[in-house]
Amino acid sequence: MKQLASTIGVAVALASMASFGVQAADVPGVSDTEIKVGTFGPLTGPVYIYGKLTMNGVEVYFNKLNEKGGIHGRKLVLVREDDLCKPEGAIAAVKKLVYEHKVFAIIGGGCSNSTLAARPEIEKAGVPFHVFAAVADGIVDPPATNIYTTQLTASIESHAQIQWALDRGSKKLAIVSQHDAWGRSRYEPMLQDLKRRGLQVVADEEVTVDQNDGTAQALRLKSSGADAVLLLGYPKAAAVVIRDSIKIGYKPIWIGQTAIQDLPALQGLIGIDGSLANFVSITTIPGHPDNPQYAEWKKLLKDTFPNDELSVFNLMGIAAAEVFGKVVEAAGKELTREKFLAAYDTIDNFKSSVYPGPITCKGEHKCNQSPAFVKLDNNSVVLAGTVVLK
Amino acid sequence: MLMFSYLMATGITTGAFYALVALGIVIVYKATEVVNLAHGELFMVGGMLAYTCYVMEGLPYVPSLLLAVAGAFLVGILTERVAYRSVLKHGLASVLVATIGVSFILKGIARYIWGGKGDYLSFPPLVSPEPLQFGNIMIMAQQLVVLLAAVVVMAGLALFFKRTRAGKWMQATASNPKAALLCGLRIDRIYMYTFAVGAAVAGAAGVLMAPLTLLYPDVGFVLFIKGLAAAVLGGITSVPGAVVGGLLLGVIEQLAAGYVHSSIQDVVPFLVIMFALTFLPTGLFGVRGLRKI
Repeated sequence: MKQLASTIGVAVALASMASFGVQAADVPGVSDTEIKVGTFGPLTGPVYIYGKLTMNGVEVYFNKLNEKGGIHGRKLVLVREDDLCKPEGAIAAVKKLVYEHKVFAIIGGGCSNSTLAARPEIEKAGVPFHVFAAVADGIVDPPATNIYTTQLTASIESHAQIQWALDRGSKKLAIVSQHDAWGRSRYEPMLQDLKRRGLQVVADEEVTVDQNDGTAQALRLKSSGADAVLLLGYPKAAAVVIRDSIKIGYKPIWIGQTAIQDLPALQGLIGIDGSLANFVSITTIPGHPDNPQYAEWKKLLKDTFPNDELSVFNLMGIAAAEVFGKVVEAAGKELTREKFLAAYDTIDNFKSSVYPGPITCKGEHKCNQSPAFVKLDNNSVVLAGTVVLK
Repeated sequence: MLMFSYLMATGITTGAFYALVALGIVIVYKATEVVNLAHGELFMVGGMLAYTCYVMEGLPYVPSLLLAVAGAFLVGILTERVAYRSVLKHGLASVLVATIGVSFILKGIARYIWGGKGDYLSFPPLVSPEPLQFGNIMIMAQQLVVLLAAVVVMAGLALFFKRTRAGKWMQATASNPKAALLCGLRIDRIYMYTFAVGAAVAGAAGVLMAPLTLLYPDVGFVLFIKGLAAAVLGGITSVPGAVVGGLLLGVIEQLAAGYVHSSIQDVVPFLVIMFALTFLPTGLFGVRGLRKI
């Protein structure tokens, strides 16, 4: 009898240990006091801003939540991995986050191409992934059960640029684009949308990310007679083409996208007052980081990262983290990955403190489908309008 | 005709950029036979130091320029003492690897110090940002400043190498380090000052060009490639060759982008390097080595 009791005792102890083990294995990265969240993107290299600064924004938001006691008593801990904006780097970063750091979920993806390359690994691991900066449609299209984005995707932005030009009566459209992976993720959907509408561009010019002069492009645009130019370039490339167009007296409507949404900074790069009189850009945030509405974020960022000036990239991280936090909260105290992913359905017309339009993940993995445009008015960034995609 | 005029004028002014970068490359190569692959980053350091003095600290332009040039000079000394001196005796390949290392380190330091302030830093121009009219074409005034600076630096360097003892020591060391040593020259010190002068020229170029190129940690690489193409085209040991090579490269690049397509603009420097190495191995102004029998 005594032997039987001790056998049952050992069995119960083993069973409870096993059940504890299963619970821990089922919810990686979650303890009673913290939730380990991974992030990846470029922390170094030429485009570190899309990773490092966006992650700084995420961390600022997590800190804010943590100071209030976290979510359901658990603090959010961010674990960073550098993917160098390279596909192989992103795959390695995801593996490290999932299998070494054993994170609960990932909020990240600074570069489109590298994030796209990491998608199969993310799907295989089943780790929830919330995209904070990368724009390539292929990351969420076709949808994967564990991947959501609150960033506008490249195709939505490209369609919106065309729509803006057509809504303003433009007859001759031109494209100026970078032909790197980032540029192509926008350029190809743009060409497809133009084809769908039966339109042809009158000029199709190329720039590089390090362009120092845009006179040749400006001359070719001018001679084509284009009345609207769709800009698919980073700030420097856009700045030199606009600057040199002004130099030769060419003034079309310039239509930019979220990579060049910081209009005061763009005007500073161009260096000529009034240079953005005919310029609009799709925006992630309805204003400028210096606007009073972001004063709280500015202060919190300075507290944590004294060298940073609040930028759009920081705000992109803050915005994504805000939605991510809402989903964690909606998933409840008994947090599992399944409950977390199911909780994305509760995000319906969510008004974030940063994104210009509502965020809806209910039945949709591209949660942000509200492109808005900003313009510079008396040196202030103001909303120029929105478009209805047709 | 208007398009041609614009392309020629822009080619000459952007060519002056490349010439200024090429001059720094030539100085170092002339004395050490080393192509400093970190030269673009020294350019960036000069620009960033000037940004710190002029924009962040509010110092006047000229002291900012001088401090940036002096800072770049010191960085040149530091990199030679720490990274290059010990490997110079192991041959060119070792030095080249060391220059690549220095390039990455300088970019990393720049990202750490200036990296949180946005993607590109804009630097106010020395002159009015509004374009100036010359006949029926418009040119950015700052581009003319760079063109003028390239001519001044070229003239100064030509005088330095021809008229000063230090310049002659540098050339003697480059020509035959062992003979220079036997003549009592301290070649390690000459190498150090050569790298420092090259860095100072890069720093000056960085400050002058910053309003047009903008500033960011990786700004130097593309300009270095173009400067190298200009130096190779001009004959990598020739100071006037660097200027002519730079101007030619700028003009070729603009004409190709304007009349063929903008997509080939950045391919031109590589085509020029290949062309020069194949058909003009000593460049336009380079001197073929003499051998006495």
